[in-house]
Amino acid sequence: MGFFRQAGVIAAKDLRAELRTKEAINSSLAFALVILLMFSFAFDPLADTTREIAGGLLWIVFAFAGTLILNRSFARELPNDCLDGLIAAPVSGAALFLGKACASFLLVLGVQLVSLPVFGIFYDVPWTRQFPELLLVLVLGTWGLTVVGTISSALTVNIRLRELMLPMLTYPILFPALLGAMQLTATLVAGNAIGPDEFGWLKMMVGFDAIYTAVSLALVETILVG
Amino acid sequence: MGEMVLYYIPLGATAALAAAAALAASIGYLRTRNLRFDSLARAATETLLAFLAASIVSGCFVTHAASGKWWTWDARLTAALVCWLLFATCPMLRQAVEEPSRRAAFAAVWSVFACLDVPLVVATAAWWKPGKALAIEWTWPRFWLLAAMAVVAGPLTVARARRAETRREPDSLRRTPHAM
Repeated sequence: MGFFRQAGVIAAKDLRAELRTKEAINSSLAFALVILLMFSFAFDPLADTTREIAGGLLWIVFAFAGTLILNRSFARELPNDCLDGLIAAPVSGAALFLGKACASFLLVLGVQLVSLPVFGIFYDVPWTRQFPELLLVLVLGTWGLTVVGTISSALTVNIRLRELMLPMLTYPILFPALLGAMQLTATLVAGNAIGPDEFGWLKMMVGFDAIYTAVSLALVETILVG
Repeated sequence: MGEMVLYYIPLGATAALAAAAALAASIGYLRTRNLRFDSLARAATETLLAFLAASIVSGCFVTHAASGKWWTWDARLTAALVCWLLFATCPMLRQAVEEPSRRAAFAAVWSVFACLDVPLVVATAAWWKPGKALAIEWTWPRFWLLAAMAVVAGPLTVARARRAETRREPDSLRRTPHAM
């Protein structure tokens, strides 16, 4: 079985397990909605200034809700020693990581695509005007979030304070990607196109994703096997 | 507090040297699995955190002298703070893992991740707040200060690494009965 086929099998297994139990996706969705609602207590949701910071708000919601899904990525394999079985299986660590990252990516993207219309309605934001570009930013930002989150999930799966350590590890590393995603999303949800000034952010996000995907694939075996 | 303007650059540069040492030691561990490299990486990360914290605090004094505010979201200081948070996760990760070789491997991988992020953090912070950054000008007094700080930081790191080495022995003795 080829590398990508193995990763595909792992991703399909994770998605199937998640869609049957819905344990991470339900809590993540509910959490996203609660934060979106709580932001409206902090400032006037219909003020113009709120629309200017909309990109930042959205990505804070996505990052918080995303860690709930990412926490489960490797922790799902702990009962019945499934993780040991997966490591012992004739599948490379990189394929295991890629499969898990792809499954988490689809789940986080799903949560985002549900939260986005709710956000648009609550805060009166014209998010549909630049939807293809917005989708590109969502895909790039979410891939960065899931790659760093999945490798952190592999690191923290067997350690103390797992749920606390994952966001502590993930958010500082994600600073460049989240900053870029926030800048671009703020422009796009305001209904403006990505200008030449903002194009650099897009390139930076592609670079971030490429660097961390490559390094994670190279080092994940060390994390899993030791 | 006027002389603070002299300090933040050499302090930051010493932290950068410690980061380079931590990266080299982490790669060394991943290649050789020699726990001495792990002790060195641990010590270099601690030195880095101390010097970077001092650099951020002295930078705050400089901003306060110039604008009356302690924190103005200056690009370089913000980048330094993010880098400090990045490397502060390494000791936390070490604390959470019990088994020494696993702890060393995890910390080494995370150090590599953190070091790769540093140029991206510095560049994105500069794009985020264009034209708003503390000046970096190398003058002779600052070079001398860097040399003096390196003379302090080097032996400090070696001493910390040695302490980690000597601690490992009783730790391994304590673990042996558990392993049996």
